[in-house]
Amino acid sequence: MTLVALQKIRDAVQQRPGEIEEEKRKGKIIVGWVGYLIPEEIIHALGLIPVRLGRGGDERLVELGARYISSQNCAFIRACMGMFAENTDPYIRGADAVAFDNACMQVYRLGEVSKYYCKKKTLFLGVPRDPASPSAQKYFRHEVEHFTQKLEDLAGKKVEPEELTGSIGLYQNIRAAICELYHFLDIGESPLNWKEVGEVVHAGYYLDKTNYFSLLQELLSEIRSLPVITAPNSNEVRIILSGSLIAPGDVKLSDLIEHVNGNIVSDDLWSGLNPSLNMHIDNPTIMGIADAYMNRIPHYTLPCLDKDNDIRFEHLKAAVLKTKAQGVIYHTIRYCDSATLKTTGLKNRLRKEGIPLLEIHTEYSGSDVEAIRTRVEAFFEILKFKDNPEVRV
Amino acid sequence: MSTEYPAFRYPDEIKSLLMETDDLVFTDGTRVTPEQIWHFMTVTGPKRFPFAFSTNPAFGHQLSRDVTLISGIRTTYLNMTGIDRLRKFVRNGTPLVVVQGGITSDLYRAAGCIPVGPMFIRGWIMNTTEGREYNNANLAGAALLEEARQNLSFECCNLIANIGLLKTRNLPIAAIAPCLCSRCSDMAFAVEAYRSESEKIPSYIVDYPSNYEWGEWRVEFLKEELHSLAERLEKISGKEVTDADLTAEIKLENKARALSRECEQIWWSGKVPPTNSGDGGTAHLGLMGAFDFPVGNQILQETRDELQTRVRNGVKGYGLVDDPSRLFICGSCVIPNPNFVDKKGGVLVGSDDAWSCICMDVKESGDPYENLAEAYASLPYERSTEERAMWTIEQVKASRSDGVVFMYNWGCNYQSAVAGMITDIIKEETGLPTITIEVGELTRMESLEQSQNRVESFIEMLRK
Repeated sequence: MTLVALQKIRDAVQQRPGEIEEEKRKGKIIVGWVGYLIPEEIIHALGLIPVRLGRGGDERLVELGARYISSQNCAFIRACMGMFAENTDPYIRGADAVAFDNACMQVYRLGEVSKYYCKKKTLFLGVPRDPASPSAQKYFRHEVEHFTQKLEDLAGKKVEPEELTGSIGLYQNIRAAICELYHFLDIGESPLNWKEVGEVVHAGYYLDKTNYFSLLQELLSEIRSLPVITAPNSNEVRIILSGSLIAPGDVKLSDLIEHVNGNIVSDDLWSGLNPSLNMHIDNPTIMGIADAYMNRIPHYTLPCLDKDNDIRFEHLKAAVLKTKAQGVIYHTIRYCDSATLKTTGLKNRLRKEGIPLLEIHTEYSGSDVEAIRTRVEAFFEILKFKDNPEVRV
Repeated sequence: MSTEYPAFRYPDEIKSLLMETDDLVFTDGTRVTPEQIWHFMTVTGPKRFPFAFSTNPAFGHQLSRDVTLISGIRTTYLNMTGIDRLRKFVRNGTPLVVVQGGITSDLYRAAGCIPVGPMFIRGWIMNTTEGREYNNANLAGAALLEEARQNLSFECCNLIANIGLLKTRNLPIAAIAPCLCSRCSDMAFAVEAYRSESEKIPSYIVDYPSNYEWGEWRVEFLKEELHSLAERLEKISGKEVTDADLTAEIKLENKARALSRECEQIWWSGKVPPTNSGDGGTAHLGLMGAFDFPVGNQILQETRDELQTRVRNGVKGYGLVDDPSRLFICGSCVIPNPNFVDKKGGVLVGSDDAWSCICMDVKESGDPYENLAEAYASLPYERSTEERAMWTIEQVKASRSDGVVFMYNWGCNYQSAVAGMITDIIKEETGLPTITIEVGELTRMESLEQSQNRVESFIEMLRK
C-alpha cells in the first residue's frame, strides 16, 4: 500500500510543471542546473526558482543528444543534450537560465554545447579538481562569489543576509530529512524501498522547497507512526549502489536488482544520498556556503590521489559496515570514464576489506537487461553462500 | 597474404648536402658531426629501428621522401635518437616526469626534470628491444595497448591508456605530474587509477581553472598550483628552482616558440607548400625541444632558413600534387596519415593542438610564475570552446586552408564533445567544408582503412 505522503509527493510532482508555468507568468525566473556543487541556497535566496535538470533511461534522447554532442559522451550527458535539443521537458523549456558546474568535465562540455545550439542563458561554476588543497578552497570561494554576481544580475537584486540564512536553514532541514529517510532503509525499518526513496529525493529537484520540506516532514511522520518491521526477508541480498549517477527515469538496474531479490540499502550516488551528506554551513554567507560545498563528499568525477585521505572511499566502506550490506554494485554508465577508470582500483581496495564489488557497465538501452540479470544473479549467489563452508564459491 | 615493402634508404647523392651543415651541439657539450648523422640515418638507424624505415603505405610515420630538405633529415635524426638522450638522462640521475600536452615544459626543466608525454611510456618499452621490423612493431604495440587498457579501462583513449602500463612495468619514471588543462578528461582518472593501487611513482596533478570566462583569481590559482608543482619537482630532482632559473628557461623556450611560429608563418606564406605534410609543422620540436632545447633551437633555425629559401624559389614539397587541397586539423593527439593525405591530393597545413602552446607568449620580466600562469590561462586550446573556435578560424584563414578536419581518438570524451560545435562555428564563419572523424588507430599501424577512406572522400570533395 502506498503511503499517503508518498502519493502526495507524486501528485505534487505531477502538478509542478503547471505551477512553474504559472510562476513564470507572474514574472518569476527559473534557473535550471546540472551538477553537484551548484549552491542552490543562493539561487533560492535570490527569489529565483531552482530546478535540477536531467533524466536518464531514455534511449531515444541519447541518440538525439549524440547528434549535437558526441556518441563518445556518457549516456546521461547525451540524454540531457537530447532534452535540450528537443525542448519538450517542461523544466528545460521553462528555464530562463541554466547553470552547470565543472565537477564533471562532461557536464561542462554539455553546458558549452547546449549554450551554443539551444541559445539558453548559461552560467558556469568552476570547480577545482582537488578540493582538499588550500589553493582550491580559495579558488572555489572566488568562483562562487562570481557565480553569485551572475545570479544577482539575473535576479536584479543582491542577496540579502536574512534571506540567505533562511534558505540555508531550509536546505539543511531538507538534507537532514533525506538522511533520515535513508536511515530507515539502513536499519531495515523503511516501508519504502530504495527506488521509492530515490523518487522522493528526485521530487526535490522540481518542487518548491518549502512545500517539499513540508511533504518530507509528513512522510517521515507517517513512517515513524508505522509499526516496525520485525521480520526481514532472510533471502534478500543487501546491496549498496555506487558509481555513476542513476538519474530520474533510469530504473533498469534498480528494477532488476529488486526482481532478483536484492535489497538496495543505501547508495553513494550523486543522484542519491551523497548531496545530503557532510554539508555543514557554519557561516551563513556566500563564503560559508562555498566552503561547505567544497568540504562535502567529493564528487566521483574529481580524482583523488591521496589514498590516506580518500573521503569517498572511506564513506563507502563505512556505509557498507553500517548497513551490513553484503556487497557493492558499482554502476558505470557507458563512457563515464570518471567511474569506469576507478573500477579496478576500487574493487581491489574493497576486496582487501572483505567487501565484494560487481561492476555493471551499461547504458539506457534495454538490450543488455538479460546479460545484467545473469551477472547480478551470479553475484547474489556468491554473496548468499560466501560464508557457508559447505559451498564452494 | 603479406606484402613485403622495401626499406627506405637515403640516396648517397645527398650526403654531400648534409656534410655542408654544422655539428649538432647538445647542452652537455656533446657534438654530433654531419658524418655521424649520415652514418646513423643510413646504417645504425635502419638496424636499430627497421620499422621506422618501412615503406608500408599504412605506416603513418614514414620517413619523408623529400631528401633534399636537409633540416628535415636532421630533425628525423633528433627524433630517432631521442630515446638515447632519455637513457642518458636516466643514467645521469635526471628525473623523467610524465606530463601531458597543454602546458609547456619550462617549469619542469627549470626544476631539473625532463618532461615526457604518455607516449614515452610505450616508446620506452618498445625500444627495450631493438631491430623490430614493421609487423613485429605493430603487434608489439597492439599488445601493449591491450595490456594498458586491461590495467585501466577499455574505455580509456589509446594515448592516455599508456599510463596503465606503469602498473605492470618497471620504467625509469621519477614522477607523474601532468597539468590537467581543459584538453583531456581521462588523464586525471588514469593517474588516479594508477595511484589507487601503486605507490611506486609519486603522482601529482596540476589543477587548471577550466571555465568559461577570464578571471584574475583563476590566474592566481594556477600560479599557486605552479608553485606547488615546483616544490614537488624540487623534492624529486634535489634542485632548487630559483626565479632566475625559471626565467632563463622561459627565455630559452620562448625562443623555441618564436622560431616555430616563424617557421609556420614562412610555410604558410609560400605560394605553394614548401614541404610535404610529413615535413611540415615544427610545433612539437618547438614545444618539447627534442629533450634538449639548445639543439632543438639550432634545428629550428636551420628549418626556418631552408623554408625561406624554398619559399623564395617557389619550391614545392616533394610528393605533393599541384595545388593540393590544404587541410587544417583540429582535435587532439591524432592527425591523418600525412603520406596518405599527400598521395590523395591534399596537404596538412597545421593543427591546433601543440600549435596553441607555440602561439603562447610568456613575459620575460617580473614574477615568472605569474607570467607562466597568465600565459597558460590564455592558451586558446584550453579556453572556452567558442573562444577556441574563433582562434582556430584565425589559424584556418592564416594558413589559407581549403577545409578543416576535426579528428579525435576513440575513447576521448572531451574533444569529441565539442567536435561538432567547433566545426559548425568554423563552417558558419568561413564557409569552408569541415569533417569530423573518430579514429582508433593511435599506436596502431594497421586497419586504418575506415579513417583513410573518410579523409580521401573529404579531399576528393574539396578537389572537385
